[in-house]
Amino acid sequence: MILFLHIKLIHILAFGGVLLAGAVPMRLAGLRREMGMFVSLICLAFALFVSNEDFLGQSNVINTTRQISMLGIFAIGISFVIITGGIDLSIGSIVGLTGVLIAKISGQYYPDNPAAGGMGYSLWIGIPAALAVAALIGLIQGLLITRLDLQSFIVTLGGMLLLRGVSQTIVKGGTLSLGDVPLIKLANGGLFPTVGSPDGTVPYPLLIFVGVILVAAYVLHFTVFGRYVYAIGGNREAAEYSGIPVKRVETLTYVISALSGGIAGVCYAAYIGQMSQQVGIAYELYAIAAAVLGGVSLRGGEGTVVGVIIGSCIMKVIENGINMFQWIYRDRDGIRRLWRLDNNWTFIIIGAVILVAVMLDQVVHIFQARRRTRKAGAIAAAAAAAAAVPPQAAKVG
Amino acid sequence: MNATSSQPPLLEMRGITKRFPGVVALQDVQLRLHKGEVLALMGENGAGKSTLMKILGGAYQPDGGQILIQGVPVTFNSVRDAKRACIALIHQELMLAPNLDVAGNIFLGNERKSMGLLSPLTRRQMNKAATALLRRVGLTCPPTTPVARLTVGEMQMVEIAKALALEARIIIMDEPTSSLTAGESQKLFQIIRQLRAEGMAIVYISHRMEEVLALSDRITILRDGRYVGDLERAQATHEKIVSMMVGRELSANYFPAKPAKPPTEPVLVVDNLLVPGAPSPVSFTAHRGEILGFAGLVGAGRTELMQAIFGVTPALGGTMLLDGLPFAPQNTREAIARGVYLAPEDRKRHGLVLPMTIAQNTSLPDVRNYASLGFLNRSKEREVARHEVQRFRVKTPSIEVKAVNLSGGNQQKVVLGKWLAMRPRILILDEPTRGIDVGAKAEIYRHMAELAAQGITILMVSSEMEEVIGMSDRVVVMQERRVRGILERAELSAHRIGQLMTGHADREALAV
Repeated sequence: MILFLHIKLIHILAFGGVLLAGAVPMRLAGLRREMGMFVSLICLAFALFVSNEDFLGQSNVINTTRQISMLGIFAIGISFVIITGGIDLSIGSIVGLTGVLIAKISGQYYPDNPAAGGMGYSLWIGIPAALAVAALIGLIQGLLITRLDLQSFIVTLGGMLLLRGVSQTIVKGGTLSLGDVPLIKLANGGLFPTVGSPDGTVPYPLLIFVGVILVAAYVLHFTVFGRYVYAIGGNREAAEYSGIPVKRVETLTYVISALSGGIAGVCYAAYIGQMSQQVGIAYELYAIAAAVLGGVSLRGGEGTVVGVIIGSCIMKVIENGINMFQWIYRDRDGIRRLWRLDNNWTFIIIGAVILVAVMLDQVVHIFQARRRTRKAGAIAAAAAAAAAVPPQAAKVG
Repeated sequence: MNATSSQPPLLEMRGITKRFPGVVALQDVQLRLHKGEVLALMGENGAGKSTLMKILGGAYQPDGGQILIQGVPVTFNSVRDAKRACIALIHQELMLAPNLDVAGNIFLGNERKSMGLLSPLTRRQMNKAATALLRRVGLTCPPTTPVARLTVGEMQMVEIAKALALEARIIIMDEPTSSLTAGESQKLFQIIRQLRAEGMAIVYISHRMEEVLALSDRITILRDGRYVGDLERAQATHEKIVSMMVGRELSANYFPAKPAKPPTEPVLVVDNLLVPGAPSPVSFTAHRGEILGFAGLVGAGRTELMQAIFGVTPALGGTMLLDGLPFAPQNTREAIARGVYLAPEDRKRHGLVLPMTIAQNTSLPDVRNYASLGFLNRSKEREVARHEVQRFRVKTPSIEVKAVNLSGGNQQKVVLGKWLAMRPRILILDEPTRGIDVGAKAEIYRHMAELAAQGITILMVSSEMEEVIGMSDRVVVMQERRVRGILERAELSAHRIGQLMTGHADREALAV
């Protein structure tokens, strides 16, 4: 235990403080699932910090924050669709396609080898064009789903494969280099550079993420549109019979989802610098996992922006934790040794975490439902007994 | 009684016709409604009441006819159009979003939209307005209560509050009391009378004669999608309404003759069976070759009792004896193994696999016996299916037709055939003729009588009084998940059953 000397009282107090500062307001706001996941997240972070001091080192924190931000942007977007009871499998391909389009339009032009780079147009053309394409794809998918009454799973599965193929065609099976364009700064740079991290301590993707959070939270929780999104997910027929423009609202959620994929795509393009057809593969699944971990129900009607943020944090902290986790011990000869997790375990651990999380949630749900049935039964019995008494009492009186 | 004849009625529907693929749901139907009037709309299942009201509510568009509001013709292309004309439709299966709170539901689709969809939600104003509306319908819960926590009765009141929030002039209620307790119904009637006094026009759809006679000012009767006639409250009697509703088809030979049966040995003895969710245990005995009817209102716990006997939701306590041997099915397979079969109320969801053929549906519960060496013996399957199709005279070109393409009556016959092929001891029929047309009904009744004569015990759950009395040898009456009485053949009367199944509180509520 001498090995964890870096843990000081102040660390425990700090973690405890963060835990309370987050969990108490969530409990008060009735966000039960979100609170549970938040507590898990803080415990996870604390455990990782205990095992490896560097987990909270400056560079790791900045890097993890950047990763969380880039995932969170489109996890929030896809949540709009999931809350209406739909699904968007195409979002990973949209992330990839946006990046490829930017690389193609605005990447550096190499006169001797045009196929390795882009066309060299301004980013002011490249980024808006790529985002417009993303939004248009969302619109088309949304219209197919709502107007032709197709299943969202099928439409976006088709979109996922088709768009992946489009990316592949544009890059001609190879990679496109962005080259020396200012966009590279976007993902790798940040505000407030210090000596330790000359690229800035507040990464730009975090700023974009905060912007997305603010807009999404306002739209989802404080506008009529957001109310309709929940109503459609809760009871589609009721929404229709309440005169809600169900099809228009639903279509818009697919546009929002695709657009958020586009924004994330810009960040990933900047972060990676070299766009190949591989970028964004399986990202839709990470986004769905982040949303579900954060309390969004695939049945629709449930979920909050706060929850999706927490879910995104958990996903990326686990991924980072697999690299950071270490166990220092002394072997029989008294030599200090380091045990680390095998990187190949990443998917096993993420998969297991998702399963355990939904299992726990369901167990709690069943338990609560049982308690409520018992209570309702007792009330009904009491009411029936009370109803049975008065006529006799009246006769006596 | 409320409007002078010179004034056009608040609402008039003329010559409304609506066709669905293969059926004419409504043919030249008319309806008039005045301000401050409660109009009861009556008719048997499938008479077209709900379709007519969905047209009025904008959910369906008619193929012919005219709707006039205060003498002005209008067209409703959507629910929103009807709402704009201040017509609110309250569905039988309540249309609330369980994940939203009460205020959110009351104003759903009716929020203040200064900036289109992106308008901010005015929660404080909505809660305030909702509190006032809730008080009008006699609810005391705060407007921020999640709807999922309300009882069905409270949800009904929220639906009415929602209609009031629209400033509706016409409220349509489709069987509002079908899942309410006696006390809740009483509260609802008070509110309906209060709304009528305020000048609201109400269309009230119900199967319950007592309610209709107590509440309504006028009664419009439909039969088989056609307009039969209007009755003023003063002329309306129970018998008159029934005869108009069922027409001449319900003659003496509609139900097969019930021969006097000698007493037989008990087959199923249910002793203090504790059904999940029921406040007290249930006991009854069913005899060989008997049709034992189960009467009660929707939600009286009959379906739940049958599900316990069939092992869908195993009983929590008590005992059952089948042919003198203990019978406690923990799942449906154990019940089926003992020859206890259920033809469920919702045959499309629980009775048949719709995309499968008649032959495949017939062999489904017993498919293991159709297999040799793991291969399905299709010729045996076809042979059995053909036999059952002939026995029940299912109207179908072939046994390879998918169940989804059959009419309701023929689907029910396939369900019966599927179980008959397995030689039942006890056949549980939950609402055996729901949604089935008159001709097919009579056929189903004839088959039921034949099966009983062969010694099969039938437990029949039915919400149609005529059916209960016409078919049952004895009747178990349930109310609020308890058995209120078991009536012998000699005691069977609509009056007696009605008394038991509504309880006394309901009758007091209706005695104005």
